[in-house]
Amino acid sequence: MKIAIQKKGRLTEDSLQFLAQRGYEFEDSSELIVDSRCGRAQLLKIRDDDIPAYVSRGVADFGIVGKNSLLEKSEKLNWVEEMDFAQCRVVIAVPEGSGLNSLQDLEGLRIASSYPAITKAHLKKRGVCAAVIEVKGSVESAPELGLCDAVSELTQTGRTLKEHRLVEIEEVLQSSAVLVSSKFDSL
Amino acid sequence: MTDLIKPEILKGTRDFLPEEKAKRDYVMNKIRGIFESFGYDTIETPVIEYAKTLLGKYGDEGSKLVYSFEDNGGRNIALRYDQTVPFARLVAQYNQELPMPFKRYQISRVWRADKPGKGRYREFYQCDIDLIGTTSLMADAEVATVMNRVLSGLGFQNFEIQFNSRRLMNQIFSELSIGEKTVPDVLRIMDKIEKIGAEEVRKELRLFLDESIVDRLLDVLLMTGSNAEKLEQLSAFDTTEVQRFLETAAAYGVPEGALVFNLSLARGLDYYTGIIFEAVLTDVEIGSVAGGGRYDNLCAMFTKQEISGTGVAFGFDRLVLAMDELGLLDSVKLNAQVMVMNFEETLSESLELVQELQAAGVNTEVYMESAKLSKQMKYADKKQVPFVVIYGENERDSEMVTVKMMKSGKQIEVPRAQIAAYFTGFDFAQL
Repeated sequence: MKIAIQKKGRLTEDSLQFLAQRGYEFEDSSELIVDSRCGRAQLLKIRDDDIPAYVSRGVADFGIVGKNSLLEKSEKLNWVEEMDFAQCRVVIAVPEGSGLNSLQDLEGLRIASSYPAITKAHLKKRGVCAAVIEVKGSVESAPELGLCDAVSELTQTGRTLKEHRLVEIEEVLQSSAVLVSSKFDSL
Repeated sequence: MTDLIKPEILKGTRDFLPEEKAKRDYVMNKIRGIFESFGYDTIETPVIEYAKTLLGKYGDEGSKLVYSFEDNGGRNIALRYDQTVPFARLVAQYNQELPMPFKRYQISRVWRADKPGKGRYREFYQCDIDLIGTTSLMADAEVATVMNRVLSGLGFQNFEIQFNSRRLMNQIFSELSIGEKTVPDVLRIMDKIEKIGAEEVRKELRLFLDESIVDRLLDVLLMTGSNAEKLEQLSAFDTTEVQRFLETAAAYGVPEGALVFNLSLARGLDYYTGIIFEAVLTDVEIGSVAGGGRYDNLCAMFTKQEISGTGVAFGFDRLVLAMDELGLLDSVKLNAQVMVMNFEETLSESLELVQELQAAGVNTEVYMESAKLSKQMKYADKKQVPFVVIYGENERDSEMVTVKMMKSGKQIEVPRAQIAAYFTGFDFAQL
């Protein structure tokens, strides 16, 4: 059985702990493919963005990935279980003192996001037309650099937003880790 | 001075202005895309054919409705009346060149010298697929699958693909000792059951069938229950064809509820020989939106070779009407997404901007004259262009572009260098 988890990041520690609770323990290793101590499972350490594709294409039987990445990729997968770790939210935030107070105020403006699909779907649902500009990283600095008027980004504690003097005006998604399997497998 | 000609068109023909045409094209392109996703190719046949090719193929009534005339060279010519006869002619003519089985779709105009009325036109579109050169039930199941894919792909949520088997009905007719000569009349009357009700059908059948036979026939026609329950009740007959058809369609992804075994479905024409279809929308009163079935000997008039096939024709006008009624065409837009205003002083810079947006995939036009602002805005409004871009001298100096959202009237400034990224970030279907 192959299980894909995030190589290094927010979900890694909790994912390993979750697997350990179910009897799958792995040696700490810099290898990207690690066998479990019991020999029944193999861990694939990959970029979290790639996990949905690895699982849907059957390269991994299971994957542990944030709901945010899952919904952004829209791969067809079995959601086995939503878990209670790696909780975070995708929110829309604007610069302090910008005078923008609600989603409606963003009509026609530029929203930078590394979650363009989720953001567009949310705007559509709320009936607001805005330009969603895809940015891969350091999204929070995009407004002060003049690239956008607002951001739609992942936040856990709100610290990064605060550091960039951004204020949340809308919640787009509540996310946590999800255990997924390819359509053909089940636990 | 010559007299002016009154601008008008023939009754039963239609002009479509951009808004209506955009909706029709949207529907047509969607349907075409679904046909193509199953590997169907399309063909084209001439609008005019030798009259002898078309005449005599549509029964006495039909032949009267074929537009025919003598051309300038004295040849007898007829206008395409449907897509099937020219297709049969083409298959007979190019048989050696075509792969068999041959799958083709065709969406084109046909003409009928009919008396125009509500929903009855002299010129209209037909929209068919045919799959010929095989008797495999795989083909019948594929036609059902295409029907399901088209209807759900167009956004309909409540529809039924009703089907029946001519082969099975023939078994039933013969069991009830209904003679071959009577069958066409029985089919014709069966066809009316939806319209006139079971009791009227009973009365009409009684004119030439015994009461006991009529009772037994109606028991079959009015059979209720799930597809499986109906098959169960028909266990005295050979129902392998229907069973295999249902299994294959299910394996091809047609959901169970979408296919409804309707034993009263007749589809008039005695031309059908196997599984027949008719699709109805259950939430719009518009009649059937597609129909077809298996036929033997498509090209009998043109060649001795027997070519069996199956196919379905979609009622294009009805589909468009139903979609419009259900609001499924509300997001269809006219083509221009951005109009750049024309100012004499900044025309060349504005044209650069236009090209940049066009290259980025944003449908962009420039106003033709450096007219007053209000006149340019009025044009954009009438054309329903969602964004107007202003790049005048002020904008050039500040390296900003002013964008006006026409619906809300809101004005925004966007850096000149970001304008393409800005517009490609919008979901235009939403505007």
